[in-house]
Amino acid sequence: MGEVAIKVEGISKKYKLLHKNIAKSDSVMESASRWAKGLFREKDKVNSVEEFWALKDISFEINKGDRVGVIGRNGAGKSTLLKVLSRIVLPTTGRIEYTGRMASLLEVGTGFHGDLSGRENIYLNGSILGMSKHEIDRKFDEIVDFSEVEKFLDTPVKRYSSGMYVRLAFAVAAHLEPEILIVDEVLAVGDAAFQKKCLGKMEDVSTKEGRTILFVSHNMPSLTNFCNKAMVLNKGMIHQPLCDIHEAIRSYVDLAESTEYTEISERKDRQGEGKIKFTNFSVYNSLNQKTNICITGEHVTLKMDYECASDKSIDNITFAISINGSDGTFFSLIGNEFSGETFNGLPSKGSVYCKIPKWPITSGRYALNIAVNQNGIMQDWIKEAVFIDVEDGDFYGTGRLVPGTHRCVLMDNEWTREINL
Amino acid sequence: MVRYKQTWAGVLWAVIRPIVNIVIFGLLSVLISKPQNYEERFLTVSCGVILWQLISAGITEVSNSLVNNSNILTKVYFPKIILPASSILVSLIDFAISLVIFLIMFFVLKGVPEWKVFLFPVFILYAIVFCLAVGLFFATLNVKYRDIKFLLPFLLQVAFYASPVFLSTDYIMSFNAPIIIKKIYLLNPVVGIMDGFRFCFFGGNAIYDVPMFIGSIALTLILLVFGVNYFLRFEKSFADFI
Repeated sequence: MGEVAIKVEGISKKYKLLHKNIAKSDSVMESASRWAKGLFREKDKVNSVEEFWALKDISFEINKGDRVGVIGRNGAGKSTLLKVLSRIVLPTTGRIEYTGRMASLLEVGTGFHGDLSGRENIYLNGSILGMSKHEIDRKFDEIVDFSEVEKFLDTPVKRYSSGMYVRLAFAVAAHLEPEILIVDEVLAVGDAAFQKKCLGKMEDVSTKEGRTILFVSHNMPSLTNFCNKAMVLNKGMIHQPLCDIHEAIRSYVDLAESTEYTEISERKDRQGEGKIKFTNFSVYNSLNQKTNICITGEHVTLKMDYECASDKSIDNITFAISINGSDGTFFSLIGNEFSGETFNGLPSKGSVYCKIPKWPITSGRYALNIAVNQNGIMQDWIKEAVFIDVEDGDFYGTGRLVPGTHRCVLMDNEWTREINL
Repeated sequence: MVRYKQTWAGVLWAVIRPIVNIVIFGLLSVLISKPQNYEERFLTVSCGVILWQLISAGITEVSNSLVNNSNILTKVYFPKIILPASSILVSLIDFAISLVIFLIMFFVLKGVPEWKVFLFPVFILYAIVFCLAVGLFFATLNVKYRDIKFLLPFLLQVAFYASPVFLSTDYIMSFNAPIIIKKIYLLNPVVGIMDGFRFCFFGGNAIYDVPMFIGSIALTLILLVFGVNYFLRFEKSFADFI
């Protein structure tokens, strides 16, 4: 311990994005004439190049034997970082130093050849990943055993089920013995039992033999189980330097929530036909104050403002709100189509209210997704329109609270000794 | 070996293809020119055909070696030169099979060759260097500009007619053409390779025009230095562009 395995100093990676400022071409003649014009014009007017920094000034040191998670949202630069570390792409600036053999597993089944049998592919894949023939010979039985495909060893892998394919591919990779192993989200495939087996194997390799592992995943539980340290990337920069895994995940969750919140009217990531659109969504407490904090058991009103493209009044409208934990766990779905009536004759611009007499969910952070349908066709859908923090309150009016450690939906209930319906 | 998976004849194809090629082109040339010594004519053309197979397949394989393996190139780190190198090896194995067929025909039709036959590996080496020189340049270019995929077959077709596959260099030089065009023709490395190879088996003129032969070797070496340099310079950014 304490020995540095990887040292990264100020790496950046720049990509050039080419934007074509050309309208869609309708006919061959049009595009031909545009091409002819383009010949005489300056190129820059037709195309513009934007610089894009996939990674910006990344520095860190990883000690030998550490299992490091790299966390970040899509496009944060995780995969680029792993590619740079494994020398597949060259950083624009910066230096990387490391000791020992490094192997990277950026995709399961890289170099698998569909026409070759499982047996042949073990050798092919192993040698592509950097094992010698002797090494593969030595581990062959272990690999076959681990992958659980011995019955199909002489079948071409193109006839494998996707699960078998992944198992075999991962089995080869798991038996690599590099000093540093870089793993990109390859475990998203395969069933839970096999994933667990893989993580177990990697953990084994790391703790027993002191190997360093870098691991990218969006699966928080497997990250917490497997990694002892982590860093968070955001927009190509280090958001949270290398630290304890739990601290890193907290920082990632905070980041995800803070960057995710934009005004409803400015949200671009909507789904649906868009004839009716939400313009605002707000939460009111029992005192009719606008808030983001609810208390279990108290009155809550949800107000949705909408706008319709046409001026006419609109019929057959249903609204729905789903309540999810901040980790995406689904808690409840409410909508006027279930508990009330579909709205008819609504003005083209207005508000609807949803009253919840007793907020039934225990303390925690929740995200509300909102949707509006007309004639059963989705018009607008906004994910995580609002985040609310719920504090524990006296739901049953007994003065006793359900412990906040249970994140759950409460329901009214009565207890008697004898049943009399 | 992968190439012959899920085929009925399997590796036999590696034998069938060159035989068919040799027979078709050989017979064609015998039928057209009606020579007195048809065995000799048949064999000269055969050896042109198998050499041309080596050169055209070698250049094509090397040129496509990077693009065809882009999935590995963007996922695993390894010295990139392995890809063109293994492509040339594959072409060479194919050529070895063709060569055996050719040798058998030679024994049957003409008998035991003279001692000069032992010189032929020199010209094979020349051919390989030429393939690598051209191939590495195209392979690198191919990473960024896929135009190569369309351009290359066309260029090879032109090169086929600009090489003494069918007709001997002596015969072509007897045409009534401007001297400068003849000189340029002789600069083509394929001319040197084929003439040299034929000399090993049939004797005669090894080198038609010594200065031009040296020129063609120089040209090949310049291409090689250029190709290797170009390859190495862009090697590190292949994954960004492929």
